[in-house]
Amino acid sequence: MTNKYYEFFCPVKVIAGKAALEHIPYELTGMGAKRPMIVTDKGVRAAGLLEPVIAACEESGLEITTIYDDVPPDSSTTVVRDIAGIYRQEKCDSIIAIGGGSAIDTGKAVNILVSEGGDDIAKYSGAGVLKHPLKPFFVVPTTAGTGSEVTSVAVITDENKGVKLPFTSSFLLPNAAIIDPRMTLTLPPHITAATAMDAMTHATEAFTCMAKNPLSDAYATAAIKKVSQSLLKVMDNPKDSDGRLELAQASTMAGIAFSNSMVGLVHALGHATGAICHLPHGLCMSLYLPYVLEYNLETIREPLGELLLHLEGPEVFAATPASRRAEASISAIRKLRDALYKRCQLPRTLKETGKVTENQLDHIAEMALDDGSIMFNPKEVSLDDARAVLRRAWA
Amino acid sequence: MLAKRIQPMVFQARRYYVELMFQVMGRALQAVSEVDENVQNEARALPDGFLFEMMVMPDGSRLIVEHTGQGRFHYHGNTAPRPVDLSIQFKHIAHAFLVLSFQEKTSVAFANDRMLVDGDISYAVRMTRVLNRLESFILPKLIAQRAVKEYPADLRLPKKLISAARIYLKVATNFVETARA
Ligand SMILES: [Fe+2]
Repeated sequence: MTNKYYEFFCPVKVIAGKAALEHIPYELTGMGAKRPMIVTDKGVRAAGLLEPVIAACEESGLEITTIYDDVPPDSSTTVVRDIAGIYRQEKCDSIIAIGGGSAIDTGKAVNILVSEGGDDIAKYSGAGVLKHPLKPFFVVPTTAGTGSEVTSVAVITDENKGVKLPFTSSFLLPNAAIIDPRMTLTLPPHITAATAMDAMTHATEAFTCMAKNPLSDAYATAAIKKVSQSLLKVMDNPKDSDGRLELAQASTMAGIAFSNSMVGLVHALGHATGAICHLPHGLCMSLYLPYVLEYNLETIREPLGELLLHLEGPEVFAATPASRRAEASISAIRKLRDALYKRCQLPRTLKETGKVTENQLDHIAEMALDDGSIMFNPKEVSLDDARAVLRRAWA
Repeated sequence: MLAKRIQPMVFQARRYYVELMFQVMGRALQAVSEVDENVQNEARALPDGFLFEMMVMPDGSRLIVEHTGQGRFHYHGNTAPRPVDLSIQFKHIAHAFLVLSFQEKTSVAFANDRMLVDGDISYAVRMTRVLNRLESFILPKLIAQRAVKEYPADLRLPKKLISAARIYLKVATNFVETARA
């Protein structure tokens, strides 16, 4: 197609591997930052994940000025305002967000307030509102899934209005993402599985949806390969730090892929299910992925077939006739889900979650149709289509 | 400035075409919302008085419609009575032209970063579906298939719209040829 056009952008410095945390002080001082604030949640603190970061900084003579460790799972405008207040009071000059999606999004939002001024984060909601770079901002992910460390989006709940405010700007991207296997080593099995499947879904949707492009494809396929090769190894041996690092890198790569080429129906259904039934995001991703691929099958036969190489390796790929590869890719994903179910009961159907009732399906379908991700699904989705996919995912 | 001296005719034609198509779409949105149940159902989820804008950055042509209630749209021309609730903005007139001359699907244009959404994404998704439906109305099937992801199976064209579409289509094909030459 000669009309093909795409954009690809990822200015985040990735600092990954053994002893990566020890690079934080150097990176901070390199940007003239002397008074960093840590933004994190209670879980991260309780798991002892702050210590190596603090120790790494102190050894280099860099004091962490203050720590906010009370980010809720669903961050709000009030929390953001409070943290910005502490930041100003303590005269901080940079932010290190340590945690999963919520801590990272909160860090991004706080950075808007402390850089742009004011107390009302809602004012900056929307796309392209920010016009200047923000304060030095670093992210240390502690789950391997969301990819938030490389996305230019943050979502914060406005409690008073009961709405989720989206913020989009390339200035929200951190200056660096620090991927250290120590940070995910203690992640419990079901979270390891669900978040890895989130990364798998990011990569698969990035590779099969409308905005796919050669650069995001490269990241997506590499991420799929890493998850396929390492997830079960880590499930069987949680202390496998090489495997943990592979998953963490896969998550970042999948994040780079989807932030440049978007996601599709799996995410639209997952967002709706999360909002209505309060199921974790990664779980929903794992659950819907094969059903949506089956729904999109005829539109994505070629790219999906290509993924078999990265899911199952060259031998299986070569042994599978080209016309059967797309189906074989779906089977490979189903096989992985079965293996995860065996190890940590990660649900494969809505019924298996025990938290969804059949009469909620229509509501989920309606809500999914209003989700932004549905715009990039390769096949147009009607309400009936969404219902049909949900029924297949039921049991 | 230099570009202007080299190809003034093509640029003028493109600007004129985009303005014209915005007018066509504005009127067609209003007309379709009076006859098509599908569009009405989509529109009903929008708040009454909801103002939708499509514009060319930085400050070029625009079209503004209002949801006046019960799934009906009212076309306001190119001026809004108050700040708009949702704005879909083409980054450049060339991109508006690609979409409005049906060389690039609306959803592809989104995927290709041709345009930005300012406002609630869920409303943008809804308006994209309305625009898809509209495109299949005002265009003959062959061209509409290029403009939307899937041509609706249940589409019955009101006579009035068919004849209108023919006229506009003539304009459209002429311009595509001029611009490509
Ligand atoms: Fe996700």
